[in-house]
Order: sequence, then structure tokens, then C-alpha cells
Amino acid sequence: MNEFALLLRKDLYILINNLKLILRNPLRLFPYAIILGYFGIFYFRRGNRSTSTVDPDQMKNLQDAMEQVSPPDVGQLTVVGGLTLIALAVMLYLLFRATKKNVTFFTMADVNLLFTSPVKPSKLLVYYMVRSIFPALGGSLIFILYGTAQLNDLFDFNLLNLTVMAIGLALFFFILSPIRFLIYTLHTKYGIIPQVKSGIFVTGLLLLIMILIPGLMAENFHEGVFAWIASPWFDLFPLVGWSRGILSFVEHENGWKVLGLMGCYGLAYGLILAMVLKHSGHYYEDVLESTQSQEETKEKIKGKRTASESSMSLNTKKKLVFKEFGTGATAIYWRNYVHGSRQDFHPLFGLYGLGFAGVGALMAVLSRFDWFSHWIIYGYLILLIFIYFMAGISRVNVGDLKKPFIILIPDTWASKFWNLIRLDLYQTLIFSVMLIVPTVLIAQLSLGLILLFPICMICFYLCGFSINLTIQLGFDEGWDRKLVRPLIIGSVLIFGILPSLGLGFFVAIISKQFVYGLLGISFGMGLVAAVMLHVAFDVISRLEFKEM
Amino acid sequence: MLEVNGLIKRYGKQNAVNNVSFSLNGGEVVGLIGPNGAGKSTTMKCIVGLLRKTAGTITLGGHDHLSVAAKKLFSYIPETPHVYDLLTVKEHLQFIAQAYGVRDWKPKAEELMQTYDLMDKQDKLGRDLSKGMRQKVSICCALLPDPEVLFFDEPMIGLDPKAIKNTKRIFGELKAMGKTILVSTHLIDSVEAISDRIMIMKDGNIIGNDSLANLKAAFSDGNESSLEDLFLEMTKDE
Repeated sequence: MNEFALLLRKDLYILINNLKLILRNPLRLFPYAIILGYFGIFYFRRGNRSTSTVDPDQMKNLQDAMEQVSPPDVGQLTVVGGLTLIALAVMLYLLFRATKKNVTFFTMADVNLLFTSPVKPSKLLVYYMVRSIFPALGGSLIFILYGTAQLNDLFDFNLLNLTVMAIGLALFFFILSPIRFLIYTLHTKYGIIPQVKSGIFVTGLLLLIMILIPGLMAENFHEGVFAWIASPWFDLFPLVGWSRGILSFVEHENGWKVLGLMGCYGLAYGLILAMVLKHSGHYYEDVLESTQSQEETKEKIKGKRTASESSMSLNTKKKLVFKEFGTGATAIYWRNYVHGSRQDFHPLFGLYGLGFAGVGALMAVLSRFDWFSHWIIYGYLILLIFIYFMAGISRVNVGDLKKPFIILIPDTWASKFWNLIRLDLYQTLIFSVMLIVPTVLIAQLSLGLILLFPICMICFYLCGFSINLTIQLGFDEGWDRKLVRPLIIGSVLIFGILPSLGLGFFVAIISKQFVYGLLGISFGMGLVAAVMLHVAFDVISRLEFKEM
Repeated sequence: MLEVNGLIKRYGKQNAVNNVSFSLNGGEVVGLIGPNGAGKSTTMKCIVGLLRKTAGTITLGGHDHLSVAAKKLFSYIPETPHVYDLLTVKEHLQFIAQAYGVRDWKPKAEELMQTYDLMDKQDKLGRDLSKGMRQKVSICCALLPDPEVLFFDEPMIGLDPKAIKNTKRIFGELKAMGKTILVSTHLIDSVEAISDRIMIMKDGNIIGNDSLANLKAAFSDGNESSLEDLFLEMTKDE
């Protein structure tokens, strides 16, 4: 039997059926068309400008002159170093995750149909390992198009360098899966997870040293910190460096270098494949569990399955005895309270909150001794507000709205709605106060922040919560949601959040005081949250229960 | 006790429930049977308010089925048990006791946990329970408020033989207590013995709604046939 032909035919059928599904409902392509149009506008605008205004010879002369007179560009070094650092962190994180959770290339259909069929396991593995480059390539191409759409004015993008860049990014994400699979394979056969963990830890430590040493040697720490990892020789560093070397083709335009680095990837892949085949044995006796959990994760992402309520729980073993809080919808609040008690060490203010508040206090201390500018603290506060906005958006995926009790409990919808969000509001308020009071007092910031920061946190949280609740309950079909979600988020962003932020920014610039900026944001977001809550409350009574 | 008039539930262009009307008197036990996709679960979910009806009226004890007063009258046991990951078995019962305002719930909860062999699992979290255990918790939660009307949607799925036997016994006890019960099931023998009436659904329509004896008289041409034979005869494709 020609296994590769069989597997290829199966994938072709899947592809054809997917195309048929799209043809049956071409509206599914609408969001993608919008994205393509968005990219197109940037490229088109740039194309027009480049033909009319810039003289390439003059530009080159200007660049040559600049290179001769300007000192090493710290800004560019920081950007390259920062991006490299992020890529290194992603790589180490993904490799570390491989020690916790196995990667799998298969679906449950493969497990049930192919694993039990007389297909040679090694060929199955080779096929799927090679095939996994296509999703990585597709994703990378979209990411590159998205990223370069913004940078089109700075670089001369064409089909060749865009393709090379996409390949550079794709190879990075592609190669990580086989490595993770290899780690898993070696572990199941030899039990080497502790050694792998130590290896990852040591790599992380070495990289940290590579960042700290030049930083400490430099006159200013932040100027020297990326001197080594942003230098050209770091292009030889496996995976991250190789991909960086390929991605920067648009700048160096050295085809041989790109081919050489791609060759490194090819060699590494061949080596990994050979090792996997040598050590995997009857690998598919072990991948059932990981395939199952991967499929569940996919379903959660698609919204077909409820996200686990117990993930990130710190205190599940705790034995609790709580008195009743009241009857009717108050039971929902009681349920959330018990849930919160198991997720963290206290339902109202737990370890996560303490950690974030501690970071705020630490920044305040550093700022007090002039190690930090106040604006770093303000940046942290804005980051937290954003996190709470996102937390609000994800809140309706978990818990009460996915259980029938919310509908069945004999109480009014107003009461149910209030009890649904009650604990979150208490938590947000307490966390905000615990964070902002010491931060303001230690760093001697404006006292007005003590009032405005909690208001802002609650407004953004409620806004995120209402947006997602409206989308989840107001639109039945999955693709409806996919279409409407960006539309609603976009509208709230354009007509609500951005004007509020703009107002805050404007006031902050005029007054040169962050606190007045936050006042402007609070005022605008208060209105936005009120409108969105009204819509969400109207929509919640339309809640339908869907059996997953 | 339950009045359903002209109930329609439409998904897109397809009617999952096609203009059905029926009623349940107080103390009556009615078995709802039908092939897969007949609309049994959808009908039940529309009655308890989990799905929005497209058209029709539903009243429970004279109240609109979505009103708080109506919700106090019934309990629902879903096909798929839904439990909270981070609530223990006992806390689920405490949650329901609060939600329905059940006073002195502990002895009743213990009795139910004893019946369904959950006493040693009472401190286990929902996430650690097997599907069968979850179904038992779901049944206990529904029985705790001692409602007037009970809606069972495939209650036996996932239960072990002992739990099935206990559930059948509880059906009998609830009937003796004068409770109104609507049971949707594929296990025909489980409703044959206790049902006062059988409703048979096919393609969103009720194609039979009478006592077992009357249905047999009307459809089996005087032969000695079981409810299963009758069901297969009535639901076979033309």
C-alpha cells in the first residue's frame, strides 16, 4: 500500500469538501475579504506614493551619508534586540511546555481510523510531521502581510522578500512542533524530562547572562542590554537567530545567507526526524490522551465546548464550609464565591491580586528612589486596565452562562444579572484599591488616582463583559458571531473607547497630568459602560441554552 | 398543570417542533418517546425555557412558563448533566437549596445522596466526577426542591443498573405523591409500567397521544403487542 498517496488523498478530499462548504456559503469569506482589503489598501497607497515622490538615487545617497555621520543606532538595536528577546522567550516557553504537555499532529479521527488501520506508523508520522509546515506557512504569511502592511513605507517589499520572510517565520514555528514531539518521544522511552528541563533552564540562564553582561558593561544599562543578542553574529543562534537572519532578508538582501540558514533548518529537521523515527517506537499508543486534549482545546476555541472552569485554580483541595447567602439568584453569587475560594486563597483578594498589587508597590518604591519614572507606573496601570477589559471579554465563556441553572433558577433577570457580575465587581474594586492606595502613597502620585483608577477598571471590565455577552447571546450562528464580533468590538472601540481614550490623552497633554487624563477616560468610559450594560441586560433575557 | 398550545420551534427554515399542542394534568405521568431527531428534547427545553419558542403558548400551573412563579413549580433533569467544576457534590445541593429557597435541606440531601450512592463522593469536585456520577448529581439537584412538576430528558443515560432501578423506583414514588412527570426516553420499558399516557413524536409532530391501552387498540389491530412494537410500527418510514 502506498501510505503517502492514501494520506494525501484523504487530505485532498477534506480540502475539496471545505471548498464546497465555502461555495455553499460564500459569506464565510467576508471577514477574510475585509482583511485582504485592509492589507491591500496599505500596499496600494504605498505603491502610488513610491512611484511619484521618491527618487531612489537620491534616497541611496542620503542613506549612505547618514550611515557615515550617525553613531550606532540605539533605537534600532533596541527594536531588533527586543524582538529577538521575545522570540527567545517564546521558544523557551514552547519547549518548556513540551515537558508538561505533549504535542500531537493528529486528530481523534486519525486516532480512531488510521491508527487502527494497516498503515505503517513511521510513514504516518513522517507525513504528518511534513504536513504541519502548511498551517505554519499560511499563518506566517498572514502575519507577515499584516506586519509589513504597516512598514510598507520604510522597506521595499516585493513578492520575493515577502515570501522569504514568511518562510523564515514559518520555519521557526514549524520546527518547534517536531522538537516538542521529540522531547515527548525521548521522555516516554527514557524518562529524561528532568534533564530536558535543566537544559532549557540553563539555556535561559545563558541567554540572561548574554543580556546582562553587555548591559552592565555599557555606560547606560538600557543601551548595552541588547548589544549581543541584536548583533549580526546572533543570526547563527539556532532557530531564533536563523529565522531572524532569513526575516531580515529585506534589509541585507543576501540570498546565500538565506539559503544557508534555510539549509540549517533542513539539516535540523532531518536530524529531528531521524531521531523521532529511531526512538518513537509504537508512539501512537501514547498520543491518544494528548490528541484528545488537543481536540478539546480546539473545540473550546471554536466555542463548541465550554472552557474549563477549574483551570488556573490554586486551591482546589481546600475544604470549605459557607453559610447560605440568600435565596433565588443570590445562589449564583454564592456559587461564584465558592468557585472563587477554590480558584485563589480568598475569593475577594487572592494570590494573583496580591502579586499584581505587589508589582505596583515595587514600582512605586523604585520610583520614589528615582529609579523609575512615574510614567512607567502609569503604563502599568494602563496595562492592568487593558487586562481587565480582556478579562471582561472572556468572562462569559466560563461558568454560569453555560449551565442551565441560570435560566431555571426562579428569579428575575435583573437579579440574575446582578448576581452574575457581583463578585467580579467586588474583586475588581478591592484589587484596584489594594493596588492604587500604596502605589499612590509611596510614589507620591496624585491622590485623585485613588478614586479614578478603580472607576476606570470597573468601567473597562463591564464594557468588555457587555460586549462579549451581547455577541454570545445576540447571535446564534458561529459565523454570525465571527462577522459581528469584530464589527461590534470595532464600533465600541471607534465610537466609545477611542474617543474616551482620546479625551483622556487630550486632557493629559494639556494639563500634563496623568490623573486628569484618567478623569477624562473615566468620564467617557462611564458612558460607554452604561450604554453597553443596558444592551447586555436587554439581551441576557434572550439567553438560550445550548447542549454542547 | 401544563398546557402547551401551538408550540413551534424553528431552526432556520426547518421546524424542529411543528405546531404541537398537549396538556398534562396534575399527578399525571406521561412518557414522551420518539426516534432520534423527533423533537422530544427540543419540546422539553422549550417548556422549561432553555430554548426560545418560535411560536405558541406554554403555561405551568396557570403561569407563563418563563415567569418566576412557574419556575418555582418545576425541576428539569437534562440529557447531559451539567455540574460546576469547582463545586463539590454537597455544595451543588446547597446551591440548589438556596436557589429554590429549600428550608432544612440537609436531611433531604443526605437521603438523596444515600439513594444514589453519593455519600462517599459528597466532597468530590464536579470536575472529578464521571459522567454517570454527574447524572446522579443532576437528578439529586432536581429532586431536592420537591417540585410539583418534573421534566426528565433521557434520565437513564449514563446511569449504572442500580441507579436506573432507583430512578424507576423514584418515578413510582413521585407518582404516588401526586407529582406531574414528563419523561422523554428511548428506554421504552422504563416508561411502559408507570406512564398514565404515552406521547409519540416523529419529525416534530405528535403522532400518538393516549393511554397505552388505547394506543394499542387503535394501532395494533387487536394483536398482543408491546409498547416497543407499537412504537416501531407508528414511527416507521412510509
